[in-house]
Amino acid sequence: MAVERVHPLKEMLGVFNRELPPAARPATGFFTDTSLCIGCKACEVACRQWNQLSAPDPTWTGTSYDNTQLLGAETWRHVLFIEQIGRADGGGLQGDIQGRIAEAKSSGALPVTPPGTALPFFNTDRWLMMSDVCKHCHNAPCHEACPTGAIIRTEFDTVYVQQDICNGCGYCVVACPFGVISRDDQGDQMAHKCTLCYDRQKDGIEPACAKACPTDSIQFGEVEQLRAHARERLGLLHERGLSEARLYGEDESVLEGGLHSFFLLLDEPAAYNLPENPPRPSNNVVPASFWTVMAAMIFGLLSILFFKE
Amino acid sequence: MKEPEIPSVTVNISPVQSAGRSGELAPTGQAWIEKLAALTTGYTPQPEREQQETTYYDYPVLKAPTWRWQIIWYFFFGGLAAGSYLIASIASLWGAPEDRRVVRAGYYLSLLALLPCPPLLIMDLGRPERFLNMMRMFKVKSPMSMGTWCLITFSMFSGVTAGIQAARDGILGKWWGARWLAGLPQKLIAFPGIFVGMFLGGYTGVLLAATSVPLWSRSKLMGAVFISSAMSTSTALISLVLRIIGAPASVLHKLERLEWAVLLLEMTGLFTFLRQTGRAARPLVGDGPGEHGATFWRFVFGGLALPWLLQTLTLLGRHSDRPRRARGILISLLVLTGGYFLRRTIVESGRTSSRDAKTTLWNAKKE
Repeated sequence: MAVERVHPLKEMLGVFNRELPPAARPATGFFTDTSLCIGCKACEVACRQWNQLSAPDPTWTGTSYDNTQLLGAETWRHVLFIEQIGRADGGGLQGDIQGRIAEAKSSGALPVTPPGTALPFFNTDRWLMMSDVCKHCHNAPCHEACPTGAIIRTEFDTVYVQQDICNGCGYCVVACPFGVISRDDQGDQMAHKCTLCYDRQKDGIEPACAKACPTDSIQFGEVEQLRAHARERLGLLHERGLSEARLYGEDESVLEGGLHSFFLLLDEPAAYNLPENPPRPSNNVVPASFWTVMAAMIFGLLSILFFKE
Repeated sequence: MKEPEIPSVTVNISPVQSAGRSGELAPTGQAWIEKLAALTTGYTPQPEREQQETTYYDYPVLKAPTWRWQIIWYFFFGGLAAGSYLIASIASLWGAPEDRRVVRAGYYLSLLALLPCPPLLIMDLGRPERFLNMMRMFKVKSPMSMGTWCLITFSMFSGVTAGIQAARDGILGKWWGARWLAGLPQKLIAFPGIFVGMFLGGYTGVLLAATSVPLWSRSKLMGAVFISSAMSTSTALISLVLRIIGAPASVLHKLERLEWAVLLLEMTGLFTFLRQTGRAARPLVGDGPGEHGATFWRFVFGGLALPWLLQTLTLLGRHSDRPRRARGILISLLVLTGGYFLRRTIVESGRTSSRDAKTTLWNAKKE
């Protein structure tokens, strides 16, 4: 392969050339439909393999089958296991379950004493699973906080950390309202999170987790299409009586612009460790500055007053 | 006195669960701290009800701040540098001729306090060798970006003003450079410097307020608290130095009155902050696991209330010079120590706050 010869002077001046960003493409994202998740963790494994993230030492949490616990610098997909045992009737399919059981028993459709184990739909216990990931917020607090410009929006409108620029200041870590982005304190001391497989997307391939998901719980695509699909899916679930189903981050309510990676949930967001309506950190800059200036003015005037006489 | 402990009903094996108030059924702290916490925040913990709040095994919603001890010292020294500059400049622009001592001490102290700031900040980066990347951006939305530029601008102001002062004091000798420096208009430079100094003293609080940590961000008064503390510690530092090297009583009296007023305002700001933060202020004022109330309340009594009372007595009474001097030195030392511990408890309680899943989810509820 012939190597192109570049004049040394041209090479030296190259740093002053502003590289043109790639042309904008339609925004892409994830729609994670938790009603389809079976908790197989294939997404976690596929993410680790593709992105070459080290596997943590196995730990036994004792709380559920979720031994990963949290997203982190080396964990960009994380499957939650929510065990709801002995919960109160929450409506939906379980609504008036006792009444329906009594009716079935009296009509003879159901034996009065069930043979063997009670069928699962006779009680309200359930497992909820959800594959959590970076939300790629429309107004990403990490992106707004980043003082070096390491965090950018790509041509796919995803939020991406440029590893050659991040200097590990840690401001994005406290800005993220979802606890996603983390600094790798054991490793390279820089901020890491889901890239929405920027490298794969550049080659027109879907992200590793979506590719690996066997039930299509993780769906990848253009955000607008995913949103339409999510609303359709929600309508279907509501039609089937699953009234607890709801979308999280699909509309513009979360962080004043919505999330490019949004979810269909079967319970309130808090059950999935998601803040219902997180405040947008950058909204605090103006009021906090205002009160600071007010205080500073008072101190200034006081000082002038005391020194003047 | 310890309150009786109610055994916890949940089994906590996971290491991430042990942090914060999560999993605790009763406040296990000392009664006087718990009482003060409830009184100032307006929130009495209801362990039974909090236990019912939905979480995901109490795993933290947020990631804990990565900042270490350097940031606490930076907040402390940055506040001193900014406050000393403000006081010195105001004394220079509006003060009497004898206030030149305040100007001189203030400008030198400002530069001295500023010197450790950049190294502390660079040390606290994950990749210190990349600190220059901060200068790739000028981002109005990011207090850290603005703070970087402010620190650079302030360094120039503080350096030039202190340089002029040193040249005029004859410290720099009599060569042409020193003569040129001494001829520069110090007051003209100091005037815009006042505003840069105000920015430096307050932006650190705004930086904390513009995060997702409930304790730091729920009230919008963090910046006001930080600038108050910058003023009180700087007044304390200048009067400490002037008392040691000697200054006219009239000058010291001005500083005493300023200190009295600033401490009063700082207390007002701090209590308003606590009231507005409410439940999210627990890590700062409470005495549960991971909560810093014990240190915080010692700071409030020893670093704010006590020096303010002593200052009141000094201003009211007619004392001879000797006890006044000793008392003044004591007040200064108390305020300076308190100012350090205020920053330390706020930074460390932020860590606890970020681990508290229940309060984080409560803070993010729809109004």
